[in-house]
Amino acid sequence: MKVSPPQVWRNKKIMYKLTASKCEVCGYISFPYSHYCTRCGSKNVKKVELSGKGTLLSFTVSYQARDGYEKGLPNIIGLIKLDEGIEIVAPIVDADLEKLKEGMKVEATLRRVYTDSYNGLIQYGLKFRVAEE
Amino acid sequence: MEVFVNASSMIPIDRYYEYDIYDLVVEAYKNLEGEFDIDTKNINLIVVANAYSQRMNNISLIAPKIAERIGMPNIPTLRVENADASGASALFTAVSMIKSGIAKSVLVIGVEKQSDYPSKYLNEALSSTLNEYEYYNGVTPHSLAALLMRQYMKKYNVDKEYFANWAIKMHQNATENPFAYLKFSVDLNTVINSQIISDPLRLFDIGARADGASILLLSNKKDDNSAKIEKIAVTQAKYDFSPSLPSIRLLRNQLEIKRDSVALDIHDSYSIIAAMMLEELGIFEAGKSLYSLGDLPINLSGGLKARGYPGGASAIYQVAEAHMQILGKFKGKKANVDNYLVVSSDDLGMISYGFKLSR
Repeated sequence: MKVSPPQVWRNKKIMYKLTASKCEVCGYISFPYSHYCTRCGSKNVKKVELSGKGTLLSFTVSYQARDGYEKGLPNIIGLIKLDEGIEIVAPIVDADLEKLKEGMKVEATLRRVYTDSYNGLIQYGLKFRVAEE
Repeated sequence: MEVFVNASSMIPIDRYYEYDIYDLVVEAYKNLEGEFDIDTKNINLIVVANAYSQRMNNISLIAPKIAERIGMPNIPTLRVENADASGASALFTAVSMIKSGIAKSVLVIGVEKQSDYPSKYLNEALSSTLNEYEYYNGVTPHSLAALLMRQYMKKYNVDKEYFANWAIKMHQNATENPFAYLKFSVDLNTVINSQIISDPLRLFDIGARADGASILLLSNKKDDNSAKIEKIAVTQAKYDFSPSLPSIRLLRNQLEIKRDSVALDIHDSYSIIAAMMLEELGIFEAGKSLYSLGDLPINLSGGLKARGYPGGASAIYQVAEAHMQILGKFKGKKANVDNYLVVSSDDLGMISYGFKLSR
């Protein structure tokens, strides 16, 4: 899988910071960031950085490979309600599947996402883990 | 301005290792010429529905190349891409061209070739439909469908056997369809013990992707083989994990669905999407649709599950089957109705179309 340094650089606010937009009209939070509200269409939005803290609503264990993502299989994909109120879908890491439960508190953690071994490039990004008490 | 489907054809969905993407169209076009009298001089435009040829087949500018291969090198072309809703969007485009007076007769070609590479490459292409965060983090549409399924199971207290009803019915329908990819029946044990893809989603909860090509000839003139396109509705709204498919609920408001007098074909990319579509359309009560299938004429071809899932060509297959059903020429299970409703969307129901056809 190829890694494009300009793409990684442009995506840093999504992959490293969970940057979203909050609509000043309807209050909706759009993630990833959008210049226009993805619910009401207003351009009156402000940039917000999400806390990366939330609650695990549900999860699935995926056995489906994608090119470049084979090494992490099987992987846990969680449906997370962030403390700011929006729901996102994200990988869950460091989890003991036997102990993972819906309703657990989770937090974002920076991890390797994939590697372009031919060109020696690595894409990092924010995944989620069970929050420390 | 009225618009009619005057001819339709398809090839069986399959893994065609000996055919390239152009060969698939040529075979479908031979079938069209074999069944109908096609006057190519009257065709003003060719619209190609295709979702993944740039990623899966390394082909751009596919529409004019297809026109050359079927002997119409000088007829203008365009390609429509809206992932698995490409076929529906192409049909919407073609009908709009005729209604506007820009064209009088349009050939709509749906084609997809998904079997040339191992599935991890196809999954990569399909995942490009997700948002940037999900895409770069390795999420697949299958996992999103699995999460929708799990939310639905919790909300309505149903188990995997509930979802198996869809696969069992679709495979039963497909046994009679010579154009189906998976022409075999399945029992409950086979379905609920099939390979886990992204739990609780199993292999038999997923539309069977393979290669296919299907063609419609649209015109503003009625002839003996016409089915009229009575109505087109199009809506767009993202799914949510409540779970719901608001785009389908919005379609319901635009389409007056009379359950007793219409045959229905829906975009059953996953068994969970089939259940949610049937409920959002108001056909069945929420949480009970897959217990209620009975003898209602739904997806008589076998659906994406068993007829097969030809990506961006899906809606062209659906409407071709509806046209054949209305003419009484469909070679599989017959609906014996004069009205057909086709509902098509992308994989997870973000952009949705309803097409009403009548004799």
